[in-house]
Amino acid sequence: MLGATYSLLGIGLTLVFGLMNVVNFAHGEFYTLGAYATFAALVLGSVNFFLAIPIAIVVGAAAGALCDRVLLRPLRGASIDTVMLVMIGVWIAMQNAELLGWGGVAKNIPTPLPTQPLTAGPVSVAPLRLFVFVVSGLLILGAHLVLAKTKLGRAMRATFQDRETAALMGVSIDRIHTITFAFGAGLAAAAGALLGPVFLLYPSMGDLASLKAFSVVILGGLGNFAGAALGGLVLGIAEELGAGYISSGYRDAVGFIIIVVVLLLRPAGLFARAERVG
Amino acid sequence: MLALERVTARYGAVTALRDVSLTVGVGEFVCLIGANGAGKSTTLKAISGLVPAAAGRIRFDGYDIHGLAPQEILKRGIAHCPEGRRVFPYMTVDENLAMGAYVRRDVAGVAADLERVFTHFPILAERRRQPAGTLSGGEQQMLAIGRALMARPRLILFDEPSLGLAPTVVETVFAIIAGIQREGTTVLMVEQNAYVALQLASRAYVMETGRIVLEGPARALADDEHVKRAYLGG
Repeated sequence: MLGATYSLLGIGLTLVFGLMNVVNFAHGEFYTLGAYATFAALVLGSVNFFLAIPIAIVVGAAAGALCDRVLLRPLRGASIDTVMLVMIGVWIAMQNAELLGWGGVAKNIPTPLPTQPLTAGPVSVAPLRLFVFVVSGLLILGAHLVLAKTKLGRAMRATFQDRETAALMGVSIDRIHTITFAFGAGLAAAAGALLGPVFLLYPSMGDLASLKAFSVVILGGLGNFAGAALGGLVLGIAEELGAGYISSGYRDAVGFIIIVVVLLLRPAGLFARAERVG
Repeated sequence: MLALERVTARYGAVTALRDVSLTVGVGEFVCLIGANGAGKSTTLKAISGLVPAAAGRIRFDGYDIHGLAPQEILKRGIAHCPEGRRVFPYMTVDENLAMGAYVRRDVAGVAADLERVFTHFPILAERRRQPAGTLSGGEQQMLAIGRALMARPRLILFDEPSLGLAPTVVETVFAIIAGIQREGTTVLMVEQNAYVALQLASRAYVMETGRIVLEGPARALADDEHVKRAYLGG
């Protein structure tokens, strides 16, 4: 059920990598930001739970846009390593800002959803988890439609495939970069807003989320949207099975064992088609 | 229509263009010939805004377009059909053509131009949903030309349209470009195949190591001793 949020995380990361060639180590921090924004809107702003989620997405996207304008725009054309180091800096700065702002005590997001599990035959699921799954699915579908069907999505893909020619078509490359980064950050924030109520909020919660996002991207293949969507589900299911059949303490380990196996056997990712040439 | 006055451009420390001056009149077919690395492509990139000119002026319709972003230059009516076709390989033929009309807002006009492109290039109509990377070289060149036309430009810059194409396809591509110019679009073409270029164009410039070394009516240049020796193989 939670695999769909892994997909959201992975899609955001893979888009930013594929389009902008930025390895976003701060990805998990946008996830944390989304969770805290939901908490702030809900508890401090006393906004409705269902409204707090879109607010969190907007906050995450706005923070992403700001990060791109201020930090990444001057580094266009810089080496991927330089940008990587800057993103590690962003990661540390954001995490400590969260610690400063919210303190180290874990927080809990209350939801209006019933806690009584829904049962259908032998299957039972908490309504909150079902809600998280459905909303994640809708967001993934929405992100896919934006990329595949809209003029903006076309411009994003064109920029990805051939930056210079996209500029010749009249695409403002800087604008596409900012939008893409905001898009990725917004998806991470959405995952944070959705998973926040399932788990507890604490300033370093983004670290594990980052690791999961990278795992998903490795599973699906770098820059591969469908791969990230499927990779997230695979990782989620593998973790559930691992937790159920081995021990719940091994939940996270199972995911990472799969990554190691995939990297050994299919380094281009589970869903990679032929290697790209040229 | 288009006038470059003493344009200089650099890539880092390397000067690619030195004091390049050229003009293109409304409705003309002008070509720019010269060896590899002479600065022909850079000249086109300076016009379309991909390479900033370090010095000099570029005027289009009397307005200074030097320093404008590529999309502003495109909106003023200059389309650039780049060297090596540069279609978006993972996007369909339809999507590539839609990218050509990216800056346009007139939906009806875009639809009409799409029809026009399909009339000119029936092969593209047959492959609308196919990724552009799966087309043959000649088909990709037609797509690149169609994509440039989708901007409904008044001036098209062609960069080596014959590069890497089979001889029979080269003939077709040049016939298409000549047809575009006859229909009223002004053409500035960079071409290594000097023989054909000088037959098609009305005027020509010859570039060597970043400078314009000769200019004149295409027919006169075709008879010029230096041009014959250097570019026409005799």
